[in-house]
Amino acid sequence: MGGLDVRMSGVVCRHGRVDAVRDVDLQVAAGQRVALTGTNGSGKTTLLRAVLGLHRPAGGEILVDGRAPRGAAGWAERRRVCAWIPQKPATGRFPLPAGELLASGGDRAAAGRAAARLGVGDLADRPLHTLSGGQLQRMYLARAVGCVAAGAGVLLADEPTAALDFSGQEEAAGVLLALPVTVVVVTHDRALADRCDRVLEMAAGRLREVR
Amino acid sequence: MNALAAADVGALLELVPVQRAGLALLVAAVGLPVIGVVIVGLDIMPVRFAMMHVALLGIALGLLTGLDPMLCALVACALAGAGVAPLARTPSGLSGAMGLLMSLAIAAALLVLAVSGVNAAGAFALLWGSILSVGTADLWVLTALAVAVPGLFWWRRRDIALLLHDRELAQSSGVRVERLTLLLLVLVAVAVAGAIKLTGALLVDALTLLPALAARRLGRSLLSITAWAVGIGVVVNLTGFFVALRHDLPPGPVLVLIAGVVVLAVHLIPERRIRSWRVPASASLPSSH
Repeated sequence: MGGLDVRMSGVVCRHGRVDAVRDVDLQVAAGQRVALTGTNGSGKTTLLRAVLGLHRPAGGEILVDGRAPRGAAGWAERRRVCAWIPQKPATGRFPLPAGELLASGGDRAAAGRAAARLGVGDLADRPLHTLSGGQLQRMYLARAVGCVAAGAGVLLADEPTAALDFSGQEEAAGVLLALPVTVVVVTHDRALADRCDRVLEMAAGRLREVR
Repeated sequence: MNALAAADVGALLELVPVQRAGLALLVAAVGLPVIGVVIVGLDIMPVRFAMMHVALLGIALGLLTGLDPMLCALVACALAGAGVAPLARTPSGLSGAMGLLMSLAIAAALLVLAVSGVNAAGAFALLWGSILSVGTADLWVLTALAVAVPGLFWWRRRDIALLLHDRELAQSSGVRVERLTLLLLVLVAVAVAGAIKLTGALLVDALTLLPALAARRLGRSLLSITAWAVGIGVVVNLTGFFVALRHDLPPGPVLVLIAGVVVLAVHLIPERRIRSWRVPASASLPSSH
């Protein structure tokens, strides 16, 4: 099994004065699939964003493949090796054709095949803001498959099935968990969590192992 | 009457300053609407207001030091554009800072004008522009923008499309957003300064923002929006120029009004009508909303 290991130690993230993530330690082995659950506002999304440097931690360290990013080039590399599915995919301030979203992952062909498998392959010419929430989420999932094909070793997925109907959730979970990489998925979807190797729960910024 | 007026326009067009003004507007129509696409795309409308004020400060400094005022305006705007780039992470962060920059720049400009003892009316004339005084140097600046801005858009079209769509998506797709934002903001600032002679600082929008606003409704990707913006810019500028000549009106306001009418007209066209002008493949797709 491929993928990269992720190690967090003493990670602290703040939104202003509020501690969103408190002293989180987490070891995820290469290729492991981890579901991150917990109530809204418990810090799951912030923790995921901190891995990508979209939220700068106030303390602690996050290593991917044993490396801590340094400088702009380091963060660019971190974002290349960690594919990301955002919680609320932006419909954007400016029109972007879905095909360009698929290409942005680095492997347009692989993303296109994934899009076809997820039933949104023929929407590539459409601007993203004309897609429904579920179609948009499938596009982002297909993009993430493209990222993995282009060399990403970790997938950070933030509620990737939240906008999907039941059959869509199952289909998306299948695509997500079949990827040969380390997966950390924030989800409220029981079925998806049950299919993961580990389930963690976050509450008020702290992390605990459920199973 | 018509024949006489037409002859008048013909005679006017033989004058070198008029020819130069027409050429400047044509060249400006290639570069500046693309800048407008950046302003609309990054949602940084306050930035251009601030840049107009900074340009005025540059002009005041030029008058004080005896250097070329336009050059000073360009440099001041470029520096200010680069200076505000770190604030561009969120549009809200930028607009507050722009208010501050605007007030400080205009206050400093007034102070410099007072200290230098220059007739302030001379500097403020730039607020209204003086298209017939367009010089060779201005033409060069506009030409450089007309080549550099669309060139950059073509060369970096993937990165710019992602950045204008969503900053974080661009970031996670390996786009160096800080560097690209800095470059775009400097270009916006320089373009605002460069366009001042044409319509005046107050009406720079006619050349930059308004064509882009109309284009955003017509196009469905960065490239098609940019192409629409340039097309609308060329039509508006040439129409405005000839209407102004023909009726002996100031070109700045005429350009703004024509561009404004185009924006309104485009927004009044029903969406389904617009769809049929676009790529046919997308219109026939079933929607599964």
